[in-house]
Amino acid sequence: MSDKAMFERLYNAIIAGDRKGLEQAVNEALKEGIAPSGIIEKGMSPGMKEVGDRFARYEIYLPEMMMAAEAWEGAMQILEPKLLESGSEWKRLGRVVIGTVKGDIHSIGKNIVGAMLKMNGFEVIDLGVDVAASAFVTKAEEVGADIIAVSALMSTTIPQQKNIIEHLEARGARRKYCVLVGGGSTSQEWADSIGADGYGRTAGDAAALALKAVARKQKGARA
Amino acid sequence: MISFWTVVERALAGPICTERDFELNVFVPNLRKAIERHGIKYDSQNPVPADDDLADRVWEAGMEFLVETGVYCVDTERRILFRREEIEGALASGPCGRVFGEGKDARVMPRRVPEDKTLPWCSVGPTSSPLSSELYYVNLVKAHAENPLGDGITMPCLTMVNGQPIVGGSPLGIEGAIRAVLLTREGMRRAGRPGMPIVNGVTTAARAQEHIAAHRFGIRQTDALEIGTIHEMKVDFDTMNKVAYSLAAGNLIFAENGVILGGLSGGPAGVAVVTAAYNPVDLLILRGAVQHPFPTHFDLGVTSARDTIWARSVANQAVTRNSTLPVVNVGYSAAGPMTRMLFYEHCAWVIASVVSGGSVEVGASARGTALDYTSPVEPLLASEVAHAVAGMSRREANDIVKALLEKYESQLREPPTGQKYQECCDPVTGKPKQEFLELYLDVRREMADQFGIQFSSASPYL
Repeated sequence: MSDKAMFERLYNAIIAGDRKGLEQAVNEALKEGIAPSGIIEKGMSPGMKEVGDRFARYEIYLPEMMMAAEAWEGAMQILEPKLLESGSEWKRLGRVVIGTVKGDIHSIGKNIVGAMLKMNGFEVIDLGVDVAASAFVTKAEEVGADIIAVSALMSTTIPQQKNIIEHLEARGARRKYCVLVGGGSTSQEWADSIGADGYGRTAGDAAALALKAVARKQKGARA
Repeated sequence: MISFWTVVERALAGPICTERDFELNVFVPNLRKAIERHGIKYDSQNPVPADDDLADRVWEAGMEFLVETGVYCVDTERRILFRREEIEGALASGPCGRVFGEGKDARVMPRRVPEDKTLPWCSVGPTSSPLSSELYYVNLVKAHAENPLGDGITMPCLTMVNGQPIVGGSPLGIEGAIRAVLLTREGMRRAGRPGMPIVNGVTTAARAQEHIAAHRFGIRQTDALEIGTIHEMKVDFDTMNKVAYSLAAGNLIFAENGVILGGLSGGPAGVAVVTAAYNPVDLLILRGAVQHPFPTHFDLGVTSARDTIWARSVANQAVTRNSTLPVVNVGYSAAGPMTRMLFYEHCAWVIASVVSGGSVEVGASARGTALDYTSPVEPLLASEVAHAVAGMSRREANDIVKALLEKYESQLREPPTGQKYQECCDPVTGKPKQEFLELYLDVRREMADQFGIQFSSASPYL
């Protein structure tokens, strides 16, 4: 099979959310001598981008994104050791710790944002729902996150977003992370009032904000 | 019907399953299978289909999906499964209309079917919209209660107590929930309708303990507590605790299901099937006296988009043709108060709901989430429209809804913000500004002239 045909197979397996098919294609691509970085950059990543684009056009929905993300993660379990062996690594765009605040059990919006971030090349650590403020901070410190993304749906649970920022400040870690907020009752006005770094009304907004945040961070690191 | 305690036993002893497996290996494939098996397809050209066969296929798909999938209990990580006979038993013994409210304000919640001439139930109120002030709270409730077409009140959501933001789960949550009930009762008293039922008790309460506390300060047995499932096909103990308490207290329950279009259910066909599947879940687990659906668009955050209207219409038809549990549809519109678009959005989803067999809860503006962006005026017109279209054919309604969608759907992503309550109404007297009343009358005339909608003279603003 030509490299081009192989990349197309990888691309299609991601779009189909076909974990087994993707793992098989990855193993065959490696056997054919395609570099792990090539498999990711020319086959899988364009597939993830296409899934994100189709979601934004309402052509596919959350299950398809979740399946694509699962397929990606399965393939990366094969590829990461190979990357290490070859002395290279796959650099993700950034690392995001995401969750729904304490007292709030709404997960769908958070899951959509998490999946959209994965499609855009971020590593996403999902803490789930009803997450204590300190747990966001502890996990972000543990994994060296770039972004903390906080979801809250209800007007009685959005104060917990402010609480997370206060926990970061108390640990002297506020400046290390870009804090993004979202969810039904949040707004730009609210984000500004609590000192968040960004507000996304939609999953697409959240992905764009995250991309800007890591670009800013990298620019800051270079300066 | 099997008892609530049998359901609790199943939550504690049902098949173990991780949440991820439930979502991707149970829910999604079972739903896809059901949609395919019954050939359910979204038709964007007909947001209000007049197809009884489609409605019945959606119902059948929903029942098969429910039997194969069950409901996931997130606290025990187990599936609560029901046999088809148990579902049929629930449907056979479920309520088919209840009296809500008391004294002269008591009203019957009717069971309706598609194209039914029976007037729909109209819940009026701010539909849980957040408010910054207790004065606005009382005045808004009063204004809604003065709508003679309003059968029940939906409470707004209080956001502050003693100058502090309400934090759910804290003592402020308890106090906020109690105060919300007391303020709602006061607003209705000032309107001269003290027996009007609260139908979304208790909005400011996030957790079961807040519901229970508020219940002791003014929720009556003729009011309804609103209890919802978790997206999608999930429950937790907090939800089931609310049910356990409501059963013991003898309260009626509005069983709420807001299926997310774009979420696990996928597109409009999946949303319709899952909404239908929720109907017996609302009986078996939530013990509802009413099914209270609001399929919501994941990206736009509204129920007034074309695809959510289609899903709502089809699900309503499926449910009301096959179950006696009354349906009261809730709506979330994108535009803010005192905009022409908000009137159009409310009218579109209300018409689709009523001709498809539902009653309505009118309705939230600014997606129901922007602080103080709510008014009593647009819901008044929506309730007038709801009464006026009872008995209208689905075909005629389809044409009207399409025409209304053309007026606003391009603006759903960036809708006009409109004005806050305290800007479009006098916050002390509660009266709408003259300019606002003129807009209301103008849209009312437009609805009559363009679509032939015949209004009664019940409006307090004529």
